[in-house]
Formats: sequence, C-alpha cells, structure tokens
Amino acid sequence: MSDIATTGASPPAASVTRSGPAPRHRLWRLTHGAGLIFGLYVLLYALYAYQQPRALDAYAIAALVNNTAPLALAAAGQTLVVLSRGFDLSIAGVISLTNVVLAVYPLDGPGGALVSLLVCLAIGGVVGAVNGWLVAYLRLQSIAATLATMIICQGIALVILNAPGGAVSDWIADELTARLGSVVPVSGLVVATVVGLWLLVRRSDYGVALYAIGADEPAAALSGVNVRRTRFITFVGAGMLYGLAGLMLSAQTATGNPNSGTPLLLLSFAAVALGGTSLSGGRGGLFASVMGAATLTLLQKVLFSSGVSSFYTGLFQGVVLIVAVVFSGLLSRIGERK
Amino acid sequence: MTVMNENPIAQAGFQQSADTRRSARVSAETVSTLAVAALCVVLLVGARFISPSLGSWSQVETVLVLGSFLVVLSFGQGLVILTGGLDLSLPAVATLSGILATNWVGASDPGAWCLLPVVLLACGCVGFLSAAGIVWLKVPPFIMTLAMSIIVSSLLLGYTKGTPRGAAPDAAVALMKGHLLGLPAPVLFLVGFVLLGWLFQSRSVYGRYLYAIGTNVEAARIAGAPVTAMRILPYVISALSAGFAGLMLVGYSSGATLRMGDSYLLPSIAAVVIGGSSILGGRGTFLGTVGGAILLTTLGTIISAIGLEFGLRTIIEGAIVLVALLLLREELFQKLGSLWR
Amino acid sequence: MISTLLKTATAALLLGAACLGAIQPAEAGAPKDGKKYKIYLSLSYSGNAWQSEAANIVKALAATPPYNDLVELKEVISGADPQAQISAYESMIDAGADGIVSFPISATALNRTIKRGCEQGVLFFMYDATVTESCAYNVSYLSSGFGENSAQALVNALGGKGKIFLSRGVPGNSVDQRHTDGAKHIFAKYPGIEVVAEYYSFWDDRTTQQETAKALAAHPDVQGIWAQAGEYGAIQALLDKGGNLVPVTGENSNGFRLALADPAMQAKGLTGVSAGSPPAQSGYAFKLMMEILTGKRELKPTNIEYPLPWVPADKVKLCSGDTFENGCNVFPKERVPSSFVTEVLNPVLLPELNIESALNGTPVKGATIQPLPAEVIKAANEPGINCSRCEAAKDQYKLTKIAPTVN
Repeated sequence: MSDIATTGASPPAASVTRSGPAPRHRLWRLTHGAGLIFGLYVLLYALYAYQQPRALDAYAIAALVNNTAPLALAAAGQTLVVLSRGFDLSIAGVISLTNVVLAVYPLDGPGGALVSLLVCLAIGGVVGAVNGWLVAYLRLQSIAATLATMIICQGIALVILNAPGGAVSDWIADELTARLGSVVPVSGLVVATVVGLWLLVRRSDYGVALYAIGADEPAAALSGVNVRRTRFITFVGAGMLYGLAGLMLSAQTATGNPNSGTPLLLLSFAAVALGGTSLSGGRGGLFASVMGAATLTLLQKVLFSSGVSSFYTGLFQGVVLIVAVVFSGLLSRIGERK
Repeated sequence: MTVMNENPIAQAGFQQSADTRRSARVSAETVSTLAVAALCVVLLVGARFISPSLGSWSQVETVLVLGSFLVVLSFGQGLVILTGGLDLSLPAVATLSGILATNWVGASDPGAWCLLPVVLLACGCVGFLSAAGIVWLKVPPFIMTLAMSIIVSSLLLGYTKGTPRGAAPDAAVALMKGHLLGLPAPVLFLVGFVLLGWLFQSRSVYGRYLYAIGTNVEAARIAGAPVTAMRILPYVISALSAGFAGLMLVGYSSGATLRMGDSYLLPSIAAVVIGGSSILGGRGTFLGTVGGAILLTTLGTIISAIGLEFGLRTIIEGAIVLVALLLLREELFQKLGSLWR
Repeated sequence: MISTLLKTATAALLLGAACLGAIQPAEAGAPKDGKKYKIYLSLSYSGNAWQSEAANIVKALAATPPYNDLVELKEVISGADPQAQISAYESMIDAGADGIVSFPISATALNRTIKRGCEQGVLFFMYDATVTESCAYNVSYLSSGFGENSAQALVNALGGKGKIFLSRGVPGNSVDQRHTDGAKHIFAKYPGIEVVAEYYSFWDDRTTQQETAKALAAHPDVQGIWAQAGEYGAIQALLDKGGNLVPVTGENSNGFRLALADPAMQAKGLTGVSAGSPPAQSGYAFKLMMEILTGKRELKPTNIEYPLPWVPADKVKLCSGDTFENGCNVFPKERVPSSFVTEVLNPVLLPELNIESALNGTPVKGATIQPLPAEVIKAANEPGINCSRCEAAKDQYKLTKIAPTVN
C-alpha cells in the first residue's frame, strides 16, 4: 500500500522499498476506499432528495439503479483487470457485441433469458480468454492487446447489426428492470450478487494471488503464485462481467446499437478510480468501484436538479473526480500511518 | 494484500536483471524500429494489389500529411508514457488550441506571431495543471488527465456556446497547405520535427532523465536527477505538442470544431505502444513511435480503399493491429537483437 | 485511528457539501409563479454548428414575446450515450416538465421513458432524429427523400456514368442508413455509375476532408462525390489535391453553398446540389409544441415532415442582410463560419429569427411570435425510424425534387 504507487510512475522495485505491511484491521480493510465513496454517495443522495422530493419514490430509486447497473458491472470487471496491473479496453467491444446479439437474436420467456445470459457470459468469457492469452501467455501489453480485441469486437458488432435497431426480448427488457415486491429493483440484486461473489472470491487463493501480482509481480512469482494463470483467469472473469453489463444495458435500452459500449469505456476507469482502486494495481476493491459507478450516475442527477448550466456540467464532473480521488488517497495514507 | 513486500531477493533480482538487459535492449529497440518501418513499406507496396493507384508517391504524400498530426500528438504522449504516465487530455488540449487560434487570431491577423505563442502557452498551462495534480496531489495520471480533459472540453463548450467561430490563422494554413522545394510543407516540417524529437528524447540529458525516472524513480532521485521537474516536464511538452497539433489541424481544415481532437486519443496511445514503448514506462524510442503513427495512418488509408462493408473493414483493421503487435513483440526482438550482434 | 479517520472523512464530506451547496441557489432562485410552462431542451451532444444552431433558435424563440412570459426553458446536454439521455428524460419528467423538445440519440432506446412521460402528460417533440414511440411527435425531414433526390442530381450531372465516392455519416446510425439506402436505390438503376469508395465522414468537415484525401490517394480519377453533412471537407480535399473539381452533392453548410456559387470553382468543374438536414426543424417543433400547449392547435401525436431544402448551384443567392429575404439562401463568409448550416432560417415557418439568433440564441428586437401555417405535412412511414411495427410505402424512394435526365 505504498503511496507512491498511486502515481502510476513507480516500477515494482520502488513500491517494494516503500511499502510497509498492510494494516491488519479487518474493519479498516472493509471501510477504506469503499467507505469514503459510500459516504460521498449518501451525501449526494441526500442533496438530490432535498432538491427533488420525488427522488425517494420506489420508482425513482429503481430507475436510478437500472441506470447504474451496466456501468457498475462494467466497472466491476475493469476493477479485476486493474487490480492485476492491467487495462482492459475490450470492455467497449464486449458490451456492444452482447447488446447487438441480444437485439438481433431475442429469445423470449424466462428460459430464453437464461440462455441469453449464458450467451452473454460466453461472449465475454471468450473475448476475455483471448485477451488473457495475449497478455498472460504471449506477453503483449494489456492496453495494446485489448485495443485490438476491442476494434475487432466492434467490427463484429457492426457486421451483426449495421444500424441501431432490433428488439431485446420483452422478458429481459421488462423483468430485469422491474421491482421485486414493487420495492427492490432486480438490477440491484444482480449487482449485489456480483459483489457477494466477489467477497467470497477475494478470500480465495485466486483473490490473494490477484492482489499479489498487481502489487509486485516478480515477488509474487518468486513466492509461488502462478502469474500467468492468475492473469488469464482475471481477463476471463472481467470479460464475463462485461457480458453481464451488456445484458443489463440491453434490458434498459430494449434495443440494439452497435456502438452502445463506447460511452462506458472511459467511464469505467473513472468509476474504478473514484472507488479508490489504484490504477497501478494491487490495491482497491470491486465494491468500491460499484459505488464509484453509482456516484458518477447520481452526479448527473444532482447536477441536473442543481440547475448548473448544461455547458458546464463537465466542469463539475471533472472537479468532483479529482477531489474524490485526492481524498481517497489522503485517507488511505492516513490509514497507513496508523 | 501486500504479502510479498519487503522481499530483498525479489528486489535485488529485479534490479539486476534490468541492468544486464540494458545493452541488449538498445539494439532490440533499433531492430523493432526498423521492423515497424519495414512493415509500413510492405503495406504500401502490398496495397498495389488492392488498387493500382496505391503505393504511388502521391499516396505516400497523403499518408505523411495525414500522419503528421498523429506523429506530433504521439511525441507528447510518448514522453508521458516514458515516465510511466498516460495523457488522456490530448484531444481536449488540441481542441483548446484550435478554438483559441480561430477565435483570438483568425485569418490574416498581423498579431498572429505574438498571439500563437500565447495560445500554446495556454495549452502548456493545462499540461502544467495536470502535472501538478499528478505530482503534488498524487492523483493517478489516468484520472487527472481524464478529469482535465472533461473540464477543458466543458469550458470550451461554455466559451464558444457550442459554435466555434473565426477562421484559421494564415500561418497555420501556410504550414499545412504550402509547398517548398516541390514537397508539401507538412512533409518537410515532419522531417524536422522527427529530427528534433529524436534529439530531445534520445540524445539530450533531459531525455536520459526521463528514461531514468520511467525505469525507477527512487534510483533516479538518488542519481541526482531533478525528479519533480522531470515528472512535470512531459505533461507540459505533451500539452504543447497537442496544442501544436491543434494548430496544424486548424490549418489543414481551415477551421476549428469542438470535437476535432477526439479521434486521436486511442491512436496516439496505440502509435506509442506499437512503436515498441512499454506502457509502464522506461522503454521506447521516438523513432519507433513515428513508425507506429505512420503504420496506423498507412493502414487507415489502405483499409478505406477496400470495398468492404464497414464492420468487416473494422475487423481487418483490428486484426492487422494485433498481428503487428505479435510481430513486434519484445521477446522476439531481444532474440533477434542478440543474433544481430 | 478510527476517530482521526472519522474526523477527516467528516471534513471531506463537509467540504464536498459546501462545494455542491454553492450551486444550490441557482434552483432556489428560479421563478415559481406556476404560470410558466416548464419546457426542457434535451440535446444528446453539442459542439458542432448544426447542434448549437438548432438549440440556439429554440432559446431565441423562447425569449421572443409573448413566449418570454410563458416559457421557462432549460437546456440539458447529456452526451452521445442513450443511457445518459434516458436519465435526463427521467429527471425532466420528475421535475414536472410540460414539454420536452429533443434531439434523440436513439430511435428506440428512449421509448420506455418517453411512454412513462406521456402517461404523466408530458409532450415530447423530437426534431431531425426521430423515435419510434407513437406517443411522441416527430418533426423531421428524414422522410423527405434527401438520399434519393441528391443521388439523382449527381447522376444527372454525370450524364449517367462515372466513378463516384459515397461520403456517409456515422457508422451504425439509422439516419445514415436511410440516406444511403435511398441513394443506392438510385445508383443501382445506372450500370454506368461505379461507387469506387465508401467512407464515413461522421458528419464533420475535418473528418470528411481526411477520409476523402485517403480515398483520392487510391482513386485520383473520381468523377463525382455524393456526400452527407461535412461536404465542404470533400471540396477542400479535392482542392488540396490541386486538380480539377467534380460534381458534389451535399448538405447545407454555408461554405458549400458559397463554393457552388463561386465562378472560379465552377470553372474548375464544381456543380451540385445543397440539400439535407435543416436545423430549423427544432424551431418548428418548438413552435408546434407551444401552439398545442397554449390551446391554439389540436394535433394528436404524429410524424410531421419538414420539407427538404433543395438549392441547386444556379439557385444559390447571397443574402445582404441578417435573414433569408428575397429568396437568398447563403451568407457572406465574413458573417458566419464555413461550417454554419444556412437552413436554420425559414421565412415562412420562423420569420421571428435572424442569423444572430442562430449564432447566439438571442431574440430579434421587436419581433413577436407569428402563428404557424395551419396545415402540417404528415410524414411517410419509415420503419425503425419513425414507427416500429409498420411498413414502408411501396414508393418510399420516389423522387420529389428532380426528374431523371438520363436513362
């Protein structure tokens, strides 16, 4: 947990000399990063509810969660790759590809939805496996290899559907955006399931190995971590999460668009960083990124209801991004000193 | 999560291996640069099979003129990547300079020669702000430059109220449209720029500092490099080159738009990486980057001449980038490099 | 440790609250007399001349008497992302909008949100781009046959044979697809017409110029260019090449119209037609909406056609004033940038406006809102563009502006 690692400019050796052992308090572990972003989210929501009383309706909350889910899942996948000290640009390609597949080949009914889910996971998994093979085994740089796979996936998406259109099956479009017992949004449950799975995975051998190769690959290799396999699994897992994000995006827009994944590319990195995950690997967590994504989505709502001139909303978004990241860095340094 | 830290063996092992590979690396880089150049030539000649007009000198001129924007942009991007950073604000800064140049200077304004440097200065300030956030506030470069990019774009949108006005300064038009010694001016400019860029990155003391910082900040500090200044410098240079590219774009298309830089972000990173630089910093040459930029532009020119639907063309483009990456793999050149000697 | 942490966190949150609180008064200070109509102008993106002109004239109209006392207009730019526009619509509906004038980023993705808005009594007016949801009004020239008419004009200019480029719009966009389908329908009738390159201009001058330059490298012997918006870039690329010009059909940029009328360019071989997407659609949509809201017009949700602007080279006429008067249709280059889209004015539908309104969003001094002609033109069905479960007319690609002069 070295502070210099946050600059992204330091090679492994520097972080080794600077790092102390991580603080051992469980509570601290859980709250740090995620705690800050969670607090920011609650604060923003309070502000939003103050300006817009209808913000506390079950409908408004569900609409917001539906809007958040695709970015949250995409950011979750990106977090895995970032933790392993990589970048994954194929996120845009996989989401576009799953979206057009769902719109061009809709499968109706709950059974069809299940098959669609498996198809999405498979598409993401295959692209992730290609990325993993290129990066882990052929040792290409992740940013370059995934750039190529992103371009290829977008090409395939355009071949399948060359203009927006098609219709996602009604079951997916209706049920995945619905509310259980007219309160709990289904999309929220999907995201919660992913976070729950992550809490199990991060304690597994794979989870430990993931953080280890992100923090210091040579050291991890020396202590017996199978670096290649860990990295490969990471890309496959990330790809499957993008597939899931594509499914949730399709449920929300109910239609196909060969460019639908592109807007999520840079946003996913912003969400990861907002959650306090270090872009140079080894530090952070998936839940924090989900909250980061939620904050970015909520910020649009708050800026809308605050009446900021629409020309300048970008100004506020940029400043909030910097301020949040500075504070999360500050807090984690305070945590280290104790 | 930091189980393996404080492992002296790993540390020593890492540094040692870095040292022994150093000389091998230099020649590996030379080979990889030559390979990129060779690939460009192969593509150009091979293009004749697609259309007989391709592969001609006139196509080479087109590629060089269109590629000159990318070369200038990726010079800055390359320096930032060399120190282990990343600059996502290039498109916004290029747009900033384009908008300011058309708004403040306009066509045939006699004040151009003093106002154009002011425009570049404004760009440099953006770069400095990014660097300040990265060095002093410890914001990751990815996020800092992304945020700066959003902020600058938003300010430009507000400043122009959505409608950029004015015309390109004559100086910029002359640079992009003029002819000298029977060659298009941008081609001559490109040669000069590449020479200067190469001298800076590979032959000057500043360049050596940047390599040192990209390899190991602490070691560079101990060795006496002005670390803070040298971590700020690449972002300022990057913003200046983006600003210059913005002026070139304005000169080329005789006007500015608010999204004029957008399509250059990923190519600027791709050119650097294809040219053999490491995204983690410390390795890569400007000549390699130039090769990468020209390769990408050549590819774009040829792809657009193929009469296939856009989706298939996109797939082919991605596949060629991938093949180029695989052919230009570092390990391959280390082996070749050692054979060479 | 926990207490320090909490202190810092509190400080951080307070500071954040202060930052965000600072922007709060903007809303609190807005007039709440309950008499004004709450209208939202929702753009997907801004930053090109077309989009900002379309937005500016709506702002200008909203500030022109008597609308200045009737309307509270708020502009929202959500970016080129359907999800962001869905979120923006949701916010507008929740904020109690009376009407939303919008350039929709997707023909289908917004449907569910629009339907919910309609159920709450919000009027949706889409301009230029359309949606397939039947409770929204679409005001668009899309059904007016830009692609096929301009293609026929190019065929006529080439005498039925020659090598041509297609400079298309944005890949994966239904508007681009509709125009191109119409054009290809015409070109397919003439075996002498050979499409040697087809590239995407992203409706942007600079991109068009670069893509045309690439295509010229492979096909220097091109004889005509069919272009969507960005057409002026195609002419610049031809000029860069230094050779002759060729017939070019394109949209409505001021630069293109000036070039068509320029004797020097004509001498080099330039001819063509300026047609295509008029930003004036937004003003027309806004005025229609206001007439419905104020009870001056009865109109059920429908698809309304905006007539296709059609200016062949010999009909280009320079304006000396600030408006289209005496049949003029282009402005001197000192007045507006070359990318300025001239068809933002319309003497019949939008007599209240001048070029300053289009450039700055300011109302014209002394102007008042004039009533629209009572009749609206119903648009033909365009499946997937303005209706979802519908069939296109058999004569979907019929020519309306020009007759074939070659066989």
